[in-house]
Amino acid sequence: MPDPKKTLSIFSFSEAQLRFLKYCAVFFIPVIIAYFILELLVLEIPINYKVYGNHLNNHSEEIEVMALGSSQMKCAFNPAVSNKSAINFASTSQHHNEDFHILKGTIDRLPKLKTVVLEISCNHLELPHHANDYWKNSIYLKYYNVNAFERPTWTKDKLIYLSNARFYSHKLMDYYFYKTDKSQLNEYGFDTNNFDGAFRKLNYDVNEIEKHKFKIITREDLTIFKKNTAYLFEILDYIQKRDLKVIIVTVPLYKTYLHKRNPNIVRRRDSILSVIKTKYDNVVLLDKETDTLQFNVHDFLNENHLNPDGAKKFTAILNRKLDSLN
Amino acid sequence: MLFSSFSFGLFLPITLLLYWAVGFKRIKLQNFILLAASYFFYGLWDWRFLFLIIASSLVDYFAALAIKGTENNNRRKLFLYSSIIWNLGVLFLFKYYNFFIDEFSLLFNMQQGEYAFSTLNLILPVGLSFYTFQTMSYTIDVYKNRIAPTKNLLNFLCFVSFFPQLVAGPIEKASNLLPQFSGKRSFDTTQVKEGLRQILWGLFKKMVIADNAAYIVNMVYASPEDYGSLSLLYASVLFFFQIYGDFSGYSDIAIGTAKLFGFKLSKNFEIPYLAKSVTAFWQRWHITLTRWFTDYVYFPIIQKNLRSNTRRNIAIFITMGLIGLWHGADWTFIIFGVFQGFLIIVERTPLSKDRKSSLYHKALIPNFMVPVLSFIFITLSCLLFRSQNIDELWIILKRIFSFIPSDSLGSLIDKRFLVFLFIMITFEILTRFKDFPLTHLEKYINRPTRWVLYYIIIFIIFRYAGPKEDFIYFQF
Repeated sequence: MPDPKKTLSIFSFSEAQLRFLKYCAVFFIPVIIAYFILELLVLEIPINYKVYGNHLNNHSEEIEVMALGSSQMKCAFNPAVSNKSAINFASTSQHHNEDFHILKGTIDRLPKLKTVVLEISCNHLELPHHANDYWKNSIYLKYYNVNAFERPTWTKDKLIYLSNARFYSHKLMDYYFYKTDKSQLNEYGFDTNNFDGAFRKLNYDVNEIEKHKFKIITREDLTIFKKNTAYLFEILDYIQKRDLKVIIVTVPLYKTYLHKRNPNIVRRRDSILSVIKTKYDNVVLLDKETDTLQFNVHDFLNENHLNPDGAKKFTAILNRKLDSLN
Repeated sequence: MLFSSFSFGLFLPITLLLYWAVGFKRIKLQNFILLAASYFFYGLWDWRFLFLIIASSLVDYFAALAIKGTENNNRRKLFLYSSIIWNLGVLFLFKYYNFFIDEFSLLFNMQQGEYAFSTLNLILPVGLSFYTFQTMSYTIDVYKNRIAPTKNLLNFLCFVSFFPQLVAGPIEKASNLLPQFSGKRSFDTTQVKEGLRQILWGLFKKMVIADNAAYIVNMVYASPEDYGSLSLLYASVLFFFQIYGDFSGYSDIAIGTAKLFGFKLSKNFEIPYLAKSVTAFWQRWHITLTRWFTDYVYFPIIQKNLRSNTRRNIAIFITMGLIGLWHGADWTFIIFGVFQGFLIIVERTPLSKDRKSSLYHKALIPNFMVPVLSFIFITLSCLLFRSQNIDELWIILKRIFSFIPSDSLGSLIDKRFLVFLFIMITFEILTRFKDFPLTHLEKYINRPTRWVLYYIIIFIIFRYAGPKEDFIYFQF
């Protein structure tokens, strides 16, 4: 028997199709509701990006210093103890292409911005940039209103849980279920309780730390090096055109990490730093990577990240550098 | 637009609703919707690629009609060769030109100077190798009188650009797919549900298995110098499951999507990790590609003397070398293909006068060890597939066989991921005689239980999906 037709607008569906569509709606509606509950729960979690975003919105008229970089910079610079009104946009795995997007996307909102603090770690120049669909781009869009996708954005680009379901599922469980999230973010998004790293687990025992295995990337890649260096110069040219000062920083590393670095990578990075120093008169260097005198084992979270005590020292040094610029 | 993306999650239901809503009696309109959707889907990567796919479609459409329109053998050959030259020319230009120019310059030391060759700054159009092979087989089949050419241009354009299988296969023969664009279609709830279940299973394989494996593999292969032998070996085994999850997951989504539109695509995988030989592996892995090369390269070479071992071995070498080259313009891929060819020849070479005494027919090792040994060889070949170049391959092989301690192995082992991998393998083995593990579930479990199972799989996909990765085979 032919299927009777029902009309919906200009189209028509058969009974069987309509039955199936209802079946799908009943099945998928709980999934969609569950998703939006997860999204709302994620938005309630106090993560540093959210605090950075709030700080950016509330203090944009005052901010004079912007810090950019990876997790090393995130752990090293506490704007709360800075002499200047500052914002630290550095975050885990953030590379120079994200730094540049953040800079370009926020600079017009910061009328008093005078200095950009840019981290160049030993690996920065030989690690590939993230692709345009990097999951953190959703975070930048949602919290900083910065489009790092390099394309027009849609509502779904602002869905935080969807951007990295695995990461946020962990966050959700930690925050709501296990309640293991010990972070204490200050008003600048800096975690003042970030001591629970490998070094504390080893009781800051230097001998144990010597034996401790850690991950370090030592792979050389000249193609990436050339590409990243050109990109870095692009960032510096942009900043120079905007009449801003730049402090290029290298963050302290623990001696075991220093020994394991690939000397070729370090040499190439240092040669670029020398070139920058001579090429740009608005750039000063703050090279603290090998400073083992001022930074001892108690200042480190692990082999390549400072803890809040180390950050206090590093920020004090950065303060002096910032003062010397004026 | 990736099959595992949010955009595809919107694109598919909208296209499907339009397609269903116009009614199954209006086939032309449905085909037009499919064509528009396919071009939209493809144009999202880069709208300029559309010109190429339309041009390729038109060349083969008219070439086939011209072949049919003449009785003169020379003219038929001329039209056939024109089509082949166009297809292979486009493929060569976009995919292989730079590679051959680089190698040629290196060979004759002509990288610099007055006579230096310059490479082209061309982007490889996504899916080029897939649809080129599909259209080429159409013209060859028309020439060989295996099929009649279609006069319906709309149907032919749909056949070349059908979005579920456009960018990464399965590579369909015209005799299978083309008639489906003119045949009667109907809305079959059972078939649609099967399609959705196959998509779900494909998403699980892609997002939970392949993407999580990719996370570990990418980490290790980004810096192989920093990992010990076992870590590299572990990553290499995971790479096999990464490409398997990635490509077979993609194929499941493609086949499932086609079912939603009332189309049947060919099976592309048959649990390849259970293969008892390298030959069997290629009969289970990317089946449609192997079939293409068997039909259009291997058979034409051996058909003049079916009993000649030398001719057969040469045919295997050429076929497998070309399969390797099909995957990419690099020596690693060529060596990959030739290595596979070598293994196939070794296992098919008769050990005595009895033709059935080869390793393929009679294993010298216990039966249960055969798939394990094949798996080892396949995994080793995968090193060629994953390495960026020969230098990297050499570094990895050297480190694997230097037995360097792997301190970081523990940090690479994600127990939860291994559980999911185990689940995938177990389900696939248990349901090995079916198209995919979730097929015809309604025969075994009631609706509430089925729904719970679907919700669990959806939850696992959301909760445990790895970092988003492109489908590996898109680059081919």
